[in-house]
Amino acid sequence: MLEIKPKPAAPPLPMNGKETRIRVLSLLVEDGQNTLTKVSGVIRRRGFHVRGISVGPSRQPGRSRITLQIDHGHAEADQVRKQLERLVEVVEVEDLTGDEVHSRELIVAKVAASELEALLQRGAKVLSTGPDGTTVEFSGDADEVGDFVNELARHGIVEVVRSGPVVMRRTE
Amino acid sequence: MILEALEREGVEYIFGYPGGANLPIYQHLPEHPNLKHILVRHEQGAAHMADGYARASGKPGVVFATSGPGALNLVTGLCTAYMDSVPMIAITGQVVSTQVGRDAFQESDVIGATSSVTKHSYLVTRIDQLPRVIHEAFHIATTGRPGPVLIDICKDVQQADAERITPQYLDLPGYKLNGHVNLDQARQAAQALAGAERPVILAGHGVLLSHAERELMQLSEAAAAPVGTTLLGIGAFPVKHPLSLHMTGFMGTGWCLKAVQNADVLMMVGMRVDDRVTAKLSEFAPNVKTFIHVDIDESEMGKNVRPHIELVADARLALEAMLPHVGKVQADRGKWLAQIDEWREDHPLRYRHSNGQLQPQDVLIDMYRRANSEAIIVADVGQNQIWAALWWNYDRPGLFINSGGSGTMGFALPAAIGAKFGRPDLPVWCVAGEGGFVMTAQELSVAVEHQLDVKIVLLNNFSLGMVRQFQDDFYGGVRSQVDLTHMPDFVKLCEAYGLPALRVEKFEDIAPSFDAAERTKGPFLIDFRIDPEANVYPIVPLGKGLNEFREAPEYA
Repeated sequence: MLEIKPKPAAPPLPMNGKETRIRVLSLLVEDGQNTLTKVSGVIRRRGFHVRGISVGPSRQPGRSRITLQIDHGHAEADQVRKQLERLVEVVEVEDLTGDEVHSRELIVAKVAASELEALLQRGAKVLSTGPDGTTVEFSGDADEVGDFVNELARHGIVEVVRSGPVVMRRTE
Repeated sequence: MILEALEREGVEYIFGYPGGANLPIYQHLPEHPNLKHILVRHEQGAAHMADGYARASGKPGVVFATSGPGALNLVTGLCTAYMDSVPMIAITGQVVSTQVGRDAFQESDVIGATSSVTKHSYLVTRIDQLPRVIHEAFHIATTGRPGPVLIDICKDVQQADAERITPQYLDLPGYKLNGHVNLDQARQAAQALAGAERPVILAGHGVLLSHAERELMQLSEAAAAPVGTTLLGIGAFPVKHPLSLHMTGFMGTGWCLKAVQNADVLMMVGMRVDDRVTAKLSEFAPNVKTFIHVDIDESEMGKNVRPHIELVADARLALEAMLPHVGKVQADRGKWLAQIDEWREDHPLRYRHSNGQLQPQDVLIDMYRRANSEAIIVADVGQNQIWAALWWNYDRPGLFINSGGSGTMGFALPAAIGAKFGRPDLPVWCVAGEGGFVMTAQELSVAVEHQLDVKIVLLNNFSLGMVRQFQDDFYGGVRSQVDLTHMPDFVKLCEAYGLPALRVEKFEDIAPSFDAAERTKGPFLIDFRIDPEANVYPIVPLGKGLNEFREAPEYA
């Protein structure tokens, strides 16, 4: 009898010592009015869960880039890619999970002016200064942005917004 | 312009219903006598007719509906077609493009409501998009894994002047077709099958869709591997063939389930391996060392069962590629086949003959004897569906139509009407319970209007039989809301609709009633008052593994 090993499905990946069900996908999609509904529809219908999303134009006219961090729930990890690829609006899906990537998130925060020094030391950049505080921006990977948010919490935050990730595979 | 595009795609029939937002299309319909429009009585009926038409003829079914309620009434029919991979084009009217989003009269978000039950959908707001969209829709609906495509067209687009007809082209960079076979995997699969001690092949709807019946039989015979079919795969392999296992799944034959549960190599072709096939997933085919899955849709790989060898390809091409690599078959195969024959003896299909009541199996056996593999049988959903699937030795593809994945009650009558339009050369029998029948009974008018030779076999047990059986066996015997005593007198109902009908309560009257049905031109209904306690066997209790199938009691 022929011994054949199962074709391995994409396994859950260890991250920070714990297994994670999060997949990181980069999608090139048609820039149409139905596209985002359909992408999110598939995610809901198949029991996946979005943990992070960012959408912006791609280099190709008429196409957008969607970066997704997505929990595949009880389905096989690779189902996320396969189900999204079924959509006619989705031109290309790249699974970046576990790859060496640049993953950047952006944060914009308004803080009391007196608290600025520590943030600037971390690499924050001042966008504007006004009577009710100073607005800074900071970008970094998820951990750096997380640390930055923790740091902010120790200061007088007036307002803060944080983006989803944009991810690109390292090629060097 | 829409109608011209449909003519270019070779459309013959449209099943539809006019309304405010698609009136411009209907205004021009009389100018296109090649497009035969069938006016339905409810949009759900239109979708099922197009579905039945497509399954019977192999051509995509076309549906028209207006905006709002008209389009939303299609949803069940679209879902039925989507679950069973049936090619269909639904063209819905939408409010004027400048009114979209303003909650205009009969406006609804049709794309939003249907995107999870269509293969693809379009909202058309500009006339110049239209020729490309219609051409693409037919391409998408009929290629790869087929499915319904919806085109929602704003009313102002329907009215726009289109002097320039844009040339047809496809602009589908995101639509990938998996047709090619990985020859390495095909060789591996063939060798695994040939080298198995206890191989089983299961064949689904994909085998019928890709016309792979001949290749399936060649492979089965070359590898001496027995073949079971899913409910939708019925006809893919002749039931009388010595290697046939008949139907698999939680209401499949005992010998097929035994074979699946004891197999060491299981090849699944053109099927989704859903819960009705596996029953309790963790107990499905526990002795299999090598799962082989062949399907054209990559997302089916590992969706439910993780295969060891996967072939993402058209079933016919995949089986064809496997054939030359089967080689020498494992020497001891005779033992496995003898074992299956023993199971076939030990677990025959049986039913009660002797309680004086009319038995549904007796009715169907007589019907099938007359159909003699030269008629299309369209079944509804419930006990009638499983009886119709099990009690005939289907030996040809394309003769059994039913709603497998979606399990849509009310499917049979409109689908049978559609099937008759699609295959006027074949007799069409519609098998339904009284519960499902009344859900779409208004379409009798269509059968009468067009004098369609559709013979309706109503298996009337005055209850929701399958639900009643589940309640008896798995829900503490509490019969809750399954009583259908208060139903119309079906003979009088038919008289009101304008078709002849008979009521049959005794075994002796079965044959004469069928004689009358066959003698009569046009539609005919027979109201068979069957044993209200008749059950479907075998059956695997809900939540249990396939091993635990229950059989019909040994009747005295």
